[in-house]
Amino acid sequence: MSYRKAFIVSNALMLASFIWAFVKDFRAEWRPYQAKYYQMSADVLEKKAAAEKDEKKAAALKVEARKMRSSPMEIKQIIANDLGRFDRCVTCHVGMDEYTNPSLKNDFKENPYKSHPKIDEALVKAHPFTKFGCTSCHSGQGLATQVEPAHGWVKHWEKPMLKGAHIQGSCVKCHGDFENLKGAEIAAQGKKLFSKTGCQGCHAINGWGGVVSVELGDIADKPFERIAGYNFKNIVMDGKELKNEHHHNEWNLQNWILAHLVNDPAKVTPNDPFAHYNAEPIPPSGMPDFTQELSRADADAITAYLSGMTKEEVIPHRYHVSAPPAKEPALSGAAHGKFVFAKYGCQGCHGLDAKIGRRRFNAAGEKQAEYDEKMPEKEQLAQMNLGEEPTLPKLVGTYTHDELIHKIEMGVPASDAKKWSPKGPMPMVYMPAWKGKISKQELADLSTWLRSIAVKDESGF
Amino acid sequence: MPMPALDIEKIKKEIIDSQLWRSVFRGGLWKDTPRDRAGHIIGNVWLHLHPVKVRPRALKWAYSWGMGGISFALYLLLTITGVVLMFYYRPTIGLAYRDIKDLEFAVTLGMFLRNAHRWAAQAMVVAVIAHMVRVFLTGAYKKPREFNWGIGVLLLTLTLFLSFTGYLLPWDQLAIWAVTVGTNMAGATPVLGNEGPLGSLVGMRINNDVRFTLLGGTMVGENTLLRFYVMHCVAVPLVVGILLILHFWRIRKDSFSAAPYEANEEKIDVWPHLVKREYIGAAGTTIFIMIWSILQNAPLEAIANPNVTTNPSKAPWYFVGLQELLVYFDPWIAGVVMPGLIIVGLIAIPYIDTNPKGVGYYAWKERPFANTLFMLGVVMWFALIYIGYALRGPNYAWYWPWESWFMNKPAPPPTWSVFGPKGVGAYSMLIGIPLMGAIASAWMLLPKLIQKELDGKKTMGAFLGLLALWAGVGMAMGKMGAIQGGYLLFFVGASFYFGFVLPQRHIRTLDWPRYLVTMVLVVSTMSVLLKMCANLAFNIKYVLTIPAISMNI
Amino acid sequence: MSETNPNPAPEPSPEPAKPVVPAAAPVAAAPKPLAPKKDMSRGDFLWAGWGMLAAFLAATAAAGARFMFPNVIYEPSQKFNAGAAATYDLGVSTKWLNEQRVWIVRTPSGFYAMWARCTHLGCTPNWWGDQNRFKCPCHGSNYTLDGDVIAGPAPMPLWRAKVMLAATGDLIVDKAVLENKPGKREQAPYFADYAPS
Repeated sequence: MSYRKAFIVSNALMLASFIWAFVKDFRAEWRPYQAKYYQMSADVLEKKAAAEKDEKKAAALKVEARKMRSSPMEIKQIIANDLGRFDRCVTCHVGMDEYTNPSLKNDFKENPYKSHPKIDEALVKAHPFTKFGCTSCHSGQGLATQVEPAHGWVKHWEKPMLKGAHIQGSCVKCHGDFENLKGAEIAAQGKKLFSKTGCQGCHAINGWGGVVSVELGDIADKPFERIAGYNFKNIVMDGKELKNEHHHNEWNLQNWILAHLVNDPAKVTPNDPFAHYNAEPIPPSGMPDFTQELSRADADAITAYLSGMTKEEVIPHRYHVSAPPAKEPALSGAAHGKFVFAKYGCQGCHGLDAKIGRRRFNAAGEKQAEYDEKMPEKEQLAQMNLGEEPTLPKLVGTYTHDELIHKIEMGVPASDAKKWSPKGPMPMVYMPAWKGKISKQELADLSTWLRSIAVKDESGF
Repeated sequence: MPMPALDIEKIKKEIIDSQLWRSVFRGGLWKDTPRDRAGHIIGNVWLHLHPVKVRPRALKWAYSWGMGGISFALYLLLTITGVVLMFYYRPTIGLAYRDIKDLEFAVTLGMFLRNAHRWAAQAMVVAVIAHMVRVFLTGAYKKPREFNWGIGVLLLTLTLFLSFTGYLLPWDQLAIWAVTVGTNMAGATPVLGNEGPLGSLVGMRINNDVRFTLLGGTMVGENTLLRFYVMHCVAVPLVVGILLILHFWRIRKDSFSAAPYEANEEKIDVWPHLVKREYIGAAGTTIFIMIWSILQNAPLEAIANPNVTTNPSKAPWYFVGLQELLVYFDPWIAGVVMPGLIIVGLIAIPYIDTNPKGVGYYAWKERPFANTLFMLGVVMWFALIYIGYALRGPNYAWYWPWESWFMNKPAPPPTWSVFGPKGVGAYSMLIGIPLMGAIASAWMLLPKLIQKELDGKKTMGAFLGLLALWAGVGMAMGKMGAIQGGYLLFFVGASFYFGFVLPQRHIRTLDWPRYLVTMVLVVSTMSVLLKMCANLAFNIKYVLTIPAISMNI
Repeated sequence: MSETNPNPAPEPSPEPAKPVVPAAAPVAAAPKPLAPKKDMSRGDFLWAGWGMLAAFLAATAAAGARFMFPNVIYEPSQKFNAGAAATYDLGVSTKWLNEQRVWIVRTPSGFYAMWARCTHLGCTPNWWGDQNRFKCPCHGSNYTLDGDVIAGPAPMPLWRAKVMLAATGDLIVDKAVLENKPGKREQAPYFADYAPS
């Protein structure tokens, strides 16, 4: 070939290769999905416009439809900075993007066009996408814009999308109170089963439990490298082998955990009992076979619970929901009243067990001398410091049961306080209104107890 | 639509004669005369490093392979793609991996650029090695071109270093562990490394030795990433640039390519003959890289996790040959002494090669020793790379190419040392040191001391016969199997041929300094073959071990 | 590419005296079809070659320019959801001032959103409710509730951002679309009608 020809051919090839590269890059996987969404939405809007009787509304709808049809193609992402999530799921799942679809609802039936299921339910409303992103709950590879990588079903992405009930593991990450949480029932069930079936005997969770086998408090962080990958070949799930890492990777942690519950673990990890490959014989997995005891639903529940056992994910404090407070002892009557007195902090002003009121500046009390205008300031100060909160046993006897309840509910403003020095300042501390803060039953029992410790005169009143 | 008749030539002339054009492009209207062809070269800043005329032998692809030009074209490709990639990459451990994912998924042509950069880097390593081989085989390093060859060796080292520092930047498991393996060898440097011989004697610890300065810390972490980034993008390219300037300058001053072997060889114009070949070479390289980048994605594993070592953990392919050497030698030898000997040895070649023949053409018969030993070194280097890359699987066990890495392999058999505290027989260290010393000296000196040229065939025959006898006895005694016998014959036989017979035949006439330097290089090369045989066939770990000074050979 | 004749005679080439970079930079090319190779004169051949090279360089430059526009940025979106319209009282709301640098102003007839950036040199003015004006602390520009300049060095009124009422009753503000000319700024889309009964 002459150099002249080579010159032309090589330039042509350079141009052609570059065009090829650019076209390949341009034909991104996400584009057809986004384009189709815009068309579908525009069609819906136009149908609505056609059915609309009011002309003005119809015109507005037509304008919206046109705008939707010509929406720009772009990579959309939700940034949840606090959680370190940069999720591009909405590039294909446009129905879940609140800027394109403000109502976050649509009538499409298929993914990726359909809107987020249960969008009106409390669960989804409590976790707005702008604050949480998508992958905080669903897992997956938020940074990706192609189908398989985005869902995490590729080699080297160790947190693929959670399937089915396993998603409730994400609840466990933040919700310390997941055991009583509506929407996390399967994970709660998983935790119950974990104890009931005796898993805790060999597998400690955060130090609580046996040490025979692996600590599971951070099992969700287990790197794939530490799983003997070839053992995945031994797993039979739903009658099939798991697809390996080269096509739609199913070799992931959830399936590994599940396999220990739906297969015989000794078959999953047979090891080397006859020392073919190792210096000493290594027995198969010592975990018992739970396939007869646990149904598939049970196994999924336990897997869901364990999927939330992560320490690597840093959950910012304000996303963490702490477990509910400890249960109150079951008391009633005066004993309960005494408990309530302590529970709401009445002791802060009225003293321990209401024995004697605490200090109240410039309130008129019993300990002070008579007020004398001519007293020097230093003495006056000392006197004012002797003011006290009401000592309840001396007070409450004069109230009936209901009057006392009413008094506690209404409170006593500072202006009602009796001052020792009329010219002096208003006592700062006052009795707040407890209406609505202390429950009715608690108030009744409180009143009962207070009247029971009231000072009685000779007649027992 | 009728257009007014345009006199193209007239318009062209007016543009070219204008002040604007003339101020930028001196030279006026092009006429294909020798003067203008020369003017093209002399008057152009990019081209004027070329001479005006060049020997026609230099133009042949079969002569030069174009590898120098292709290396430079790849270097330019790498610089451009590299700078462009820098716009979207942040060298911190929190962001590096994410930015690579962004390049893959969200940046226009990001994946293509990343691929181009990576494949061009691999290609450049191959190209510079091929260039070195070509220059060797055409004797273009001999006097007066020794210094340029040395600069070339430095450029080779810097190319490998550039590739190595760039390897870390994606911050994935592949990166962190490859660099850990590579930099741990720095820790094994004698004297300067905390794990090397004599290092602890001078107070080298993990936080103040040469490895510490390389990593910016005691392990591969945040500082390492930043350091490697600066070295990769700024420091080393600057040094390479300076050396390239020197390299091209010397080529020009040494009358350019295809050293003359006739006086007054006729020359032809560089423009267009050399320039057009250079263009096609560069265009071909670009096309090759572009198509490769479209068809294959650069690898990216899980994010770097210092707590989880991949199994196996391998250095980049161009260093995996040294990693394979680590199976047979201690780190200070395999990681420091051997690479050092290779570099110093390469630079020394022009000074120990006194054969005036073979400059400017391929001379297979006239340079038997030089060609044979150099090509042996090259073949061994690539063989070690192949073994390290393809035949070593999990736990660095031996896996044939058809064996899946998911297969379990038996545990390796226990190793033993020949001479040393735990070696063969009592007082084996007392025997071993003088014995090894004697063998080494004999080997070094005998070829020159035997004045007369030995008959190669007879010598080899005799030696192989001895080996076969030894193998036979061993097999009869049940201490050796047939495979081990085969190893013995092959490796030891090869070592004897290349390390004794050939030097005896060809370099015994060299003066003592050159002879000794050559023999040191030859014997070190053969030691690799011998140690491989010892380890693979007989599970020998050390031939001689002196734990007191942590020197194990 | 093997060389057939190591000593070719210099070929006349009609290119102008252009300097040629020997190593072709891998720059882009604009889409152009491959040149047909039948029945072209040698001169045209070469022009086709040069033309394709020029196209390649141009395409690379164009792709490079496109490359420089990031497809994703890590800033908070210029569009944001300002919450339910019904939750806003009449007057100026500083609810989104810190996070989005926008005042939401509710009038009896609707909403507008003003970008809290002084048109003088870019500081953030403060809303002085009792004086019913915005006052910039840097050089003392004063603005009315509408954003008009009534004192100070500011050269033009405050910018209003696009604001829309979504079907869900939320206000969506888009700071990327701005207007400050009186007459234009009171119209949609810089004003969202909202007058519930």
